[in-house]
Amino acid sequence: MTPIDATATAVARRRGPSGRRARAGRIFVAPNLTAVAVFMLFPLGFSLYMSFHDWDMFSPAKFVGLANYRSLFAEDPLFSIALRNTVVYTVGTVLPTVLISLAVAGVLNRKIKGIAIFRTIIFLPLAVSSVVMAVVWQFVFNTNNGLLNIILGWIGIDPIPWLVDPKYAMASLCIVSVWRSVPFATVILLAAMQGVPENLYEAARLDGAGELRQFVSITVPLIRSAVSFVVVISIIHAFQAFDLVYVLTGRNGGPETATYVLGIMLFQHAFAFLEFGYASALAWVMFAILLVLTVVQLRLGRRRAAQEERSWA
Amino acid sequence: MALLPTACSSDDDALTFFFAANPEEADARLRVVDAFQRRHPDIKVRTLLSGPDALQHVSIYCAGGKCPDVLMAWEFTYAGLAERGVLLDLNTMLAHDKTFAAELAADSVASMYETFTYNGGQYAFPEQWSGTFLYYNKKLFAEAGVRPPPGRWDQPWSFGEFLDAARVLTKRDRSGRVSQWGFVDTWVPYYSALMFGMNNGVPWSDPRMNPTHLNFDDAAFIQGIQFYADLNNKYRVAPTASESQSMSQTDLFTSGHAAMALGGHWRYQTLERAPDLDFDITVLPTGPKGHAAQSNIGTTGLAIASSSPRKKQAWEFVKFATGPVGQAVIAETGLFVPALRSAVGSPDFAKAHSRIGNMAVLTGGPAHAEGLPVTPAWPKIVALMDRNIGPVLRGSQPATSLTYGLTPKVDEVLRTP
Repeated sequence: MTPIDATATAVARRRGPSGRRARAGRIFVAPNLTAVAVFMLFPLGFSLYMSFHDWDMFSPAKFVGLANYRSLFAEDPLFSIALRNTVVYTVGTVLPTVLISLAVAGVLNRKIKGIAIFRTIIFLPLAVSSVVMAVVWQFVFNTNNGLLNIILGWIGIDPIPWLVDPKYAMASLCIVSVWRSVPFATVILLAAMQGVPENLYEAARLDGAGELRQFVSITVPLIRSAVSFVVVISIIHAFQAFDLVYVLTGRNGGPETATYVLGIMLFQHAFAFLEFGYASALAWVMFAILLVLTVVQLRLGRRRAAQEERSWA
Repeated sequence: MALLPTACSSDDDALTFFFAANPEEADARLRVVDAFQRRHPDIKVRTLLSGPDALQHVSIYCAGGKCPDVLMAWEFTYAGLAERGVLLDLNTMLAHDKTFAAELAADSVASMYETFTYNGGQYAFPEQWSGTFLYYNKKLFAEAGVRPPPGRWDQPWSFGEFLDAARVLTKRDRSGRVSQWGFVDTWVPYYSALMFGMNNGVPWSDPRMNPTHLNFDDAAFIQGIQFYADLNNKYRVAPTASESQSMSQTDLFTSGHAAMALGGHWRYQTLERAPDLDFDITVLPTGPKGHAAQSNIGTTGLAIASSSPRKKQAWEFVKFATGPVGQAVIAETGLFVPALRSAVGSPDFAKAHSRIGNMAVLTGGPAHAEGLPVTPAWPKIVALMDRNIGPVLRGSQPATSLTYGLTPKVDEVLRTP
């Protein structure tokens, strides 16, 4: 307990009713804290512990020091492939997601009749389970009878083997992932856009700024923190991709290594090869990468905000 | 009795039995379980149907301390479980049951029995021969005027004869789109490709048990794999992965859109139910370097979990299903090609397969079959094969690329699993 907490408790003890309230508060919070400890802190700690062991779930774990991390970085050629694929998948998901959701949120932010219906429709993918969605998209990507190739056929494009050919498999995954991420990003951005004061737009209109100019010069700068949040969350989601890939292109991240991302690699080592120590090491490497990315991104965001404040001053 | 795809419960004393089956097979499997319960009313059996990945499914059960008492075991994957101490060495039970041991020894097919002999222990008893062969559509053969393929393993047909038949039996409509395929594959393509390598005179590995090398660098083996890949890329008599996306290859055969289908007995229950499908079975074709037509010692068996608290009851169940009594029931239901000689040669087995003319392909299968590698590293080998044979099957790389692309990786995994 920190000194401040201790003082607060002492004060609370002296004050009878508020002390009881504080105690009651702790009791109410206790179940949640227990759940966090049991289902989050313990597994996290356990996986960190296991990452230094060789463990197949059946035999006793054997301490191997940093061997799992060493073989991941130095000996496993698939790690670099998985990392590259994950970066491609992340960039291929996050960039289009942010651009599309900015545009969609911009359109949905207008006050026109029936906009509520469009808002509902655009949020629908958010309510569908990833696995169900992936199965539906399998039909869409069917080479000979899929909806996408039928539509492409109308404009004279030959059938594309979306999920079968390594050249197209990653692009297919990104398309589905973007389709899935846009609603969430749109919700956040739309909420932020609705918080932009109307008088700024009025002033801009009086100065002769068009819709696009208003969007670029007023809306986007003022929702920067929301955009930053969307980017961070999207990167984290994309980096941890697993369910979509597993259903769309199989448990080995095929064809060949085209969609072999870190999530698939982790699952394969843990549940197909029963190398839980190695999989735990990989999980912590993924965590470290995400942590670094997020910190860098937040620092950049803060620096940019500070520069802007200075330039306005 | 209901199939329970859920976790084992310890709230009663039922014997838990884990197995995999397609929906058509599951009915017959339950009839075998029912037959056991009629003979052993004191032993209650709870069935656990596996999900799509049986090894993963059972590993999770066992690692979680809820290992089913009796487990179906596969030739490719049981070694990993045996190595980890999950499976009981059945020799410990056989030592106390001399009568059954003698019965089993007299009636077993050695190559199948030995498939489950690993590092000196016996980790399962074979329940079926699940080797591969070809189904063919008799009507389509007759309509095209193609001579029916051979009906016995000692009457081989060549890669060339097989290809000629497949070419004649592949039909295209006016737009050039294929309306009927000469050949489809209802098994796993990279395994099937290796069957063609094997039928060109080279086994997958030598020795079979704990190999340190697979023959992906053998010219004849590679030639067989290349022939299989050419069936869709060069000769266009078989559908590519894209072409079978909208209809599975099994469905292409059952609906009369394919003349020959590679598969095993596990497809029989499905094909038997297909209306208007007049089919028979034949042997796999033999390559120019092959000495004889060969299938594989595909087999599944029954194992007992070493942690089972009901070993006695489990032993009774395993004895029943893999011994003469249960094998006779298996023969009669048509569930499998039984592992015991007495059952496979029984009139009941022939009666249960009345739609098959060439019964010698089934009954003579185990005697004309080569064993497949048994190693605890198999899941890793499969992942490597999937990744490296893919480009060959797609036609973007020749099979010779496997020599330098796949062989060193496979050998490294085999040496240090």
